[in-house]
Amino acid sequence: MTKTGKPGINRRTTLALMGAGAFTVASPWVARAQAKTIKIGMPTILSGRVAQLGTSSRNAVMLEVEKVNAAGGLAGRQIEMVVRDSKGQPQEAARIARELVNTDGCELLIDGEASSGSFAVHEVARDIGVLCIHTCSEASSLTADPKQHIPNAFRCVRQGIHDSIAGGSYAANIAKAKGLKKWATCSPDYAYGRDTTAEFVTYLKHFAPDVEIISETWPKLFQPDYTETVTKILQAKPQALYSALWGGDLTSYIDQANIYAMFTQMEVFAVNMADYTALTVVKNLPKGIHSGNRYIKTYPATAENAAWGDAYKAKYKEYPTNWSWQNATAVMFLSEAAKKANSTDGKKLAEVLTGLTIKCPFGADGTVTMRGEDRTLVGYAIGWGTTIPNEPYVPEVKSGDWKQIFALEAEWKKSKGYT
Amino acid sequence: MSELNVENRAGAAPFVTRPRRAAYTDIVFAIIGFAILAALPFLFDSKALLDFVIRCSAFGLFATSLNLLVGYTGLISFGHGMFFGLGAYGFGLLMQRANVSIPLAMVCTLAITAVAAVVIGAICVRLKEIYFAFVTLAFQMLIHSVILSWQSLTGGDQGLRGGIKRPVFWGIDLTNHVQLYIFSCALLVIGLLLMRQIAQSPFGYTLRMIRDNATRASFIGINVWRAKLTVFVLAALFASVGGMIMSLFVSGAYPEFAYWTISGEGIFINMLGGVTTFLGPMVGTVLLLILNDTATRLTEHYGIVLGVVILFFALGLRKGLMDFAVDWYRAWRDKAKEQS
Repeated sequence: MTKTGKPGINRRTTLALMGAGAFTVASPWVARAQAKTIKIGMPTILSGRVAQLGTSSRNAVMLEVEKVNAAGGLAGRQIEMVVRDSKGQPQEAARIARELVNTDGCELLIDGEASSGSFAVHEVARDIGVLCIHTCSEASSLTADPKQHIPNAFRCVRQGIHDSIAGGSYAANIAKAKGLKKWATCSPDYAYGRDTTAEFVTYLKHFAPDVEIISETWPKLFQPDYTETVTKILQAKPQALYSALWGGDLTSYIDQANIYAMFTQMEVFAVNMADYTALTVVKNLPKGIHSGNRYIKTYPATAENAAWGDAYKAKYKEYPTNWSWQNATAVMFLSEAAKKANSTDGKKLAEVLTGLTIKCPFGADGTVTMRGEDRTLVGYAIGWGTTIPNEPYVPEVKSGDWKQIFALEAEWKKSKGYT
Repeated sequence: MSELNVENRAGAAPFVTRPRRAAYTDIVFAIIGFAILAALPFLFDSKALLDFVIRCSAFGLFATSLNLLVGYTGLISFGHGMFFGLGAYGFGLLMQRANVSIPLAMVCTLAITAVAAVVIGAICVRLKEIYFAFVTLAFQMLIHSVILSWQSLTGGDQGLRGGIKRPVFWGIDLTNHVQLYIFSCALLVIGLLLMRQIAQSPFGYTLRMIRDNATRASFIGINVWRAKLTVFVLAALFASVGGMIMSLFVSGAYPEFAYWTISGEGIFINMLGGVTTFLGPMVGTVLLLILNDTATRLTEHYGIVLGVVILFFALGLRKGLMDFAVDWYRAWRDKAKEQS
């Protein structure tokens, strides 16, 4: 076969060579721009008794990060999550948070720690100035106490004080309607249990001054046997019981109290009942337990919330938790802030995040706000309802009034010396 | 040991002296060790490395002080973590509330720890073996419960919040990461040097005698209770310094620092490194922290990895790494002598 054509390099070949040359010269920059991902570090608890906190938080973050990456990333940069297990130890949480920033090159932190771990990560954020969003710690003091205020730390979590005001108001209405004056409490014996219970009782009495607490029990965290607690409450014969037990403790308590038919003898208010971690685990979920919402896909009763819950379940073969929606919301905030700032710089993001309102499936009115004065989440769906044994578990939820919550929260802050 | 002169004098307890030269050798080694550590920030630009050494300083002092009890005196304490926690809380509270300088806060914390150790030790050291272990554990849980319950002072289970101030003293600014690192290294080296002098002193050999045969020690005129109490308090003081370093590192103090798991980690570090050599616990600390940091990067099943390592040391080597290395070296040396 003979080759036809002019000798030498023709026009097409010249263009092809120029193109190849340009690509060769430019490719390192193209590759570098593509590889310029933004790493977000996430210390959380992935082992031990509350491992579900970390796994359900991570799942929700990954679900949202996939969406953000598919839509072009954070200000054009693809997100790479680096998630590490702190084992629930604050010194490990601090160590990992520092390592994530200093060694792994994470530019932002999503802090999936609970309780003391979140305070340890907060100090790391204070120390090294990295933008940090707390997503699991419900301790009100984390953002209410002005000593904790730093411009680069935010909290995207429901708060004990908000739950207590909404719960106190709801329970007072029931108490007045049914004449419930003698109350008992049963909450875990640590800061969260004691603080939340004290605040609930304060607001219950605020709205229904006739109420009297006739019995208090404080089982240990992760206590296996509640017989003594149940019998003590039954002997006191209260008309209503409040409990801040949660997770496995709450389900064990309900299973054991069912044996004594406790739920037929008094009205029970369990703030942490309406979460799939508890609802789906109790063997015989009694009808009529009053509960605050944690996460259920039917509240807020919007197509967006139901779709999000279904998408999570389809991907992970289990329902999301309260921690899940909080972590998902944190990613939504970051995504929106990056769009507004057109940057992934921590300082610019922090400026935009302060006071930012975004559309969110978990908002009381379809939006949530990162309140500017204390950089904490407000406007999320908060309400109480009663349980039924099967899905949707809490068919009707009465929404809390955020105006009332804000007013009483301001008084609470004053009483604590925070303002 | 070659560095010992044991003179048996008629009618007197064995009199043990240590040549001054050996102490100087320790000081020279300490200075060299400190110089190497101090040079690291200028050789490697790694903040994680500095963090690692700071944590090694905290846990190294804690574990080595525990070895004064376990290895040298035969007192297996399951509650040594309480002094680590006391150090962290005492120092943190003084810095937050008393508005004092760092050196003064450290001295006051040591004084508080000493008082607590004298009271607790006076009860515990009367007991032996498992009884001693369990009573120390009980005191630890008591202190842990007090920390959880006394919320107005300690912050309960959320710990000391708001950060720990680090005002400049003697020109040292501990808000600077490198200066905090060098300060921690200095505390580690001084602490190890002091513990080495204790271990190699006549008092240290008295402790070994008590460990091997307390009745015999008593019969030759040693006040066993007083010796045990003294080492209990000394060990508590060094553990407290470890706690102070940790509180500076995390800028807070948390109830987990006084929980039994910290004591458990101390025992595990001693198992890893070995209790028959002075530097065994320090080697164990480095090993455990490397293991911890590597395993948590690679897997969520940290417990399985740790369990396998424990099995390897307990069933495989049947001793700590330094013990194994020393035994192997001695066997090799003896064999070489025989052949020559």
